Amino acid sequence: MVVLEKDKMLTLADNTVSLALQKGASEVEVYLYEGHAKNVGIERGQITKSNKILDRGLGIRVVARKAIGFAYTNAIESDDSIHDVIMSALNAARASKPDNNWNGFPEKKPYFQIENTYDRKIVQLSSEDLVTIAYEMLDSAIAAEKNVLPIEGGVSAAFFSSAIANSNGVRGFDKGTYVECSLAAVMKKRNTITPVCFEYDAERNYNINPKWVGKEAARLSSSALNTRKIETKTTNLILTQFAIQSLFSNTLINAIRADNVQRNQSKFKGKLGEKISSDILTIQDDGLLAGGLGSTPFDGEGVPQQKTNIVKKGILKNFLYDNYTAKKEGKKSTGNASRAGYLSTPSIGATNFRILPGNKTSKQLTEEVDEGLLIYYLQGAHSSNPVTGDFSVVATPAWKIKNGEISHSTRGVMLAGNIFEVLKNVKMIANNERKLGSIIAPWILVNNVRIIGK
Amino acid sequence: MKDLLEKINLMAVENFSAKYSETRAQKLKKTLLTLKEGRVEAAKQGIENGVALRVLVNGAWGFSSVGSFNLSDLKAAVSDACRMAKAISKRMKNPIILAETKPINDKINVETKKNPKNISMENKIKTALTINKSSLSYDKRVKSCTIDYLDLFGTNYYVNSEGTNIEQNKLYVWSRITSSAFSNGVFSFSREEIGSTAGYEIFDEYPPEIIGKKVAKRAITQLEAKPAKGGKFPVVLGPNVVGVFVHEAFGHLAEADLALSGGVLSNRLGKRIGSNVVTLYDDGTIKDAFGSFKYDDEGVPSQKTLLVKNGIVKGLMHNRETAKKFNMKPTGNSRSESFRVEPIIRMRNTYLAPRDHSYEELIEDINSGYYMKSFRGGQANIDGTFQVGVQEAYEIVNGEIGDPVRNVSLSGNTLETLLKINAVGNDFELWPGRCGKGQTAFVCDGGPHIKIKEVIVGGSS
Repeated sequence: MVVLEKDKMLTLADNTVSLALQKGASEVEVYLYEGHAKNVGIERGQITKSNKILDRGLGIRVVARKAIGFAYTNAIESDDSIHDVIMSALNAARASKPDNNWNGFPEKKPYFQIENTYDRKIVQLSSEDLVTIAYEMLDSAIAAEKNVLPIEGGVSAAFFSSAIANSNGVRGFDKGTYVECSLAAVMKKRNTITPVCFEYDAERNYNINPKWVGKEAARLSSSALNTRKIETKTTNLILTQFAIQSLFSNTLINAIRADNVQRNQSKFKGKLGEKISSDILTIQDDGLLAGGLGSTPFDGEGVPQQKTNIVKKGILKNFLYDNYTAKKEGKKSTGNASRAGYLSTPSIGATNFRILPGNKTSKQLTEEVDEGLLIYYLQGAHSSNPVTGDFSVVATPAWKIKNGEISHSTRGVMLAGNIFEVLKNVKMIANNERKLGSIIAPWILVNNVRIIGK
Repeated sequence: MKDLLEKINLMAVENFSAKYSETRAQKLKKTLLTLKEGRVEAAKQGIENGVALRVLVNGAWGFSSVGSFNLSDLKAAVSDACRMAKAISKRMKNPIILAETKPINDKINVETKKNPKNISMENKIKTALTINKSSLSYDKRVKSCTIDYLDLFGTNYYVNSEGTNIEQNKLYVWSRITSSAFSNGVFSFSREEIGSTAGYEIFDEYPPEIIGKKVAKRAITQLEAKPAKGGKFPVVLGPNVVGVFVHEAFGHLAEADLALSGGVLSNRLGKRIGSNVVTLYDDGTIKDAFGSFKYDDEGVPSQKTLLVKNGIVKGLMHNRETAKKFNMKPTGNSRSESFRVEPIIRMRNTYLAPRDHSYEELIEDINSGYYMKSFRGGQANIDGTFQVGVQEAYEIVNGEIGDPVRNVSLSGNTLETLLKINAVGNDFELWPGRCGKGQTAFVCDGGPHIKIKEVIVGGSS
C-alpha cells in the first residue's frame, strides 16, 4: 500500500468529521493511524523469520444526545467504508446511554515540536540491514560467552504516522520512527538450564547498540548458571529498570490515573500535597522528552502532551488526566489519553514515566548494600493487585549482594509486599537512567522487603 | 476469495521460488463495550479485514500482512515476504522443513442459537447494566464495577500451496467483570472472566445477576482478609487455580518451540515428571469451549492431545515445523491472533484429568495450609519456575477452611511440583482465559480440585 502523506491523512480526517456532522453527530473526533514495521526474528541462534506488517485504519468517536459511540475500520480506501464506519459509530451512540458528565471533546491548543522522534535512517533500513544488526548482536553474544544459547530475539524497525481532527477544530499530524533489538538467552549445564535472561535496546533515532545487547544477555545468563539458595527474611533490594517497569506499570501507574482516583480505586485519593514516598523520590510524566519512546506532540485526543510533576521530593503533586476526567474536576487534561492505534478509544496512560536519577553510579549503589538482592526480572507482576498495590512475585534469576559486591545468583526467590510501602522505603537512587517501554528510570535501592527463599 | 489466495500462493512459488506458501484472509466484525459504574464509556464496533502471507524460501520464513484484499497490494506483499526470506536465509545453518500433512478441503459454519450479530447493541448494553447493578447493589462497600464485553464473528480463509483450502467461520463472546471495595482504609479487588465459542448463550449459563454478585461478594470477603504467611505449605487448589497452574507451570513448557529452546521438557519424552495421578491434555475439540476450533492456522485439524499420562510425558504441542524436528505429527496448535501476525504454537483447552477424591478428602488431613480458590494471573519461565497469583484464598486449619487471606501467590519448579501432587479430585471445571505470548489467544484451562504436598507460598506476613 502507498504511504499516506500528511495532507492526505488530514484531509481524510477533516472530511470524515464534516460528513459525520452532516449525518447527525453533535460532536465528532477522527483518529487515523498508519504503521509500517519490518522485523527479523531470531530463534535458537539463527535468524529464521522475517516479517513486514502494514497496518492502517481509522477510529471515530461521535456524540449523539450526550451518548458516545465509537467505530473503527481498517478499510479506508473507499467512500463507502468511510460512510459505513460513521453510521456504525452513530448507531452505537444511539444505542448507548447519555453520559451527564460528558463535557465535550478537547479544544484547540498549540503543539510543540519534539526533538529526536523521527529518523529517516530508520525508514530506509532494508531487510539486509536488519540481518546485519541481528548478527552483530548474536556474534557479540557468542563472543562474550561461547556456550550461550540465544533462544529468541530480533531486530525491528518501524515508522508510523497519526492524524487527529475533531469538531472543535483540533487538528494534528505527527510521524515518528522506532528501532529496537532484543535478545533472550539461556545457559545450560548438564541437566539444568538458567531462567531466561533478556536485554533490549530501543530508540527513536538510529542509535541502538546491538553489540551491547548481545554481550549483556550473554553475561547475565552466564552469571545465572551457578546458583545458591537464599533464606527467607526481610532485606534490601536493588531494583533494576526491568523490575521497576513490571512492578510500577501494574501498581503505581494505576494509582495515579485520575479515572481510578475518581472511582475510588486508588490509595492516593485525597492525598495530593501529602508525603507518599521517601524524600529522594521525584517522578515526572514527560510527554515531550526528546527521543522519548512515549513522546508525541499530542495525545490520543489531540491534547498537547506536557511535562507533569507526579511526585516531587516525596510529595504527591498531580494525577494523570485525559479530557473527560479533567473536565469532571474543572481541570485541564495533562495530555495522557493514550490509544492502541486506531482500534481503541483513548484511555489514561503514562507517556514517559520518569524517575529522576540520583548521583551514585550503579557500582556505588551496590557498595552501599551489606546484604540484599539485585533484581532484574520479575515473574507474575501482572498478577499484582492493581488497587491495593500488593504484590507477590518471583524474582528469577536474582543476584545476592554481600558486603557491597555481587556474590552469586539465585533462582525462584519470591518477593511479597506492597508498592506503597516500597515507595516509602526508597533509600538511594543511582544515575544510570535508561528507557524501558513507558518507563525511564535508574536503579533504585529499597529496604525492608520480605523475600521468601526456597 | 479462494481464487485470489490461490493466485498469490502460485505467484510465490512460480515467480519467487518459494518452496511453500500459505495465505490467510480474515473478515471480522467486533462489538466492544466498556461500562464503569453503569456509565457506558463507549459502545464500539469495528471491522478488521486483511490478508497474511507466509512463505518458505531457502528454508527461511518470510511473512507479510496487509489490511487489504486488493490484488496489487497482495502482489507487493508476496514480493516483500519472499525477498525478506531470501535475505535472512544467507547464514542459515538449519533450514526449516515442515512435517507433511494431508491436503484438506473444508468449510466450517458456526452453529449457534444466539448469534451476537442478531442481538442489538441495546440488548448487549442491557445485559452489561444488569451485571453492573447486581455487583454494585450487593453491598455498600462495593465502590466500583467495570464491565468489558467483546463479541467477534467473521470468516477466516486459509489456502496453501499444497492444496489445502479451508473456510472457517469464527465466533467468540467474552466478558470481564471487575469490582473493587473499600472500607475503613482497606481496599480490595475482584475479577471474573467468562467466554465461549457457542454464542450469547453464555449469559444463560452465567446469568448476569449471578455473575455480578459473585464478583462483588469476593471483593467484600477480601476486605476482611489478612496477609498470608510466606513459606512452604501443603495446599489445595480449586479448579480455577489448577487451570492456571497447569497452563503456566506445565503447558508453556509443553509447547514444542519452548521445548526446542532448551526448556525442561526438551529431553523428557517418555520420562516421569509428575506423580501417578497426573494426566494432562490439551484439547481443541471440546464443544463450545473458548479454546476450541476445527482447524489451526496452518490448516491442521485440531485434536485432543495427550501430554502426560499417569506422570509420564507422552507428547508436546506442535506446529508443522516443530513436528518435523521432533519427528512427530502436528497437533493443530498453530494459532495467530489475527491476519497481522504469524501463527505460533499456542494452547487450546488445557486441563488436568479428574480422578477419585472428594473435596472433603483433600482438605481433611491438612493441619496447616492454604486453599487457593481463584487466580489473578500467572507466568512461567523456561527453567520451570512458575508463579501463580491468587485473588481468593483461605487458610486451612486442622482439616477445615479458615479465614480468608490476601496477597498470596504460589511458586516453585514444575518438575518438582508435579511430583508433589498427591491427590486429585473427582470434580471438573473449565475456565476461559486469554493467554499472552506476544499475541493474545483465547484458551480454557481447568481440572478438578487437587492437593499438593508442598509448594512455596508467597505471603508478606
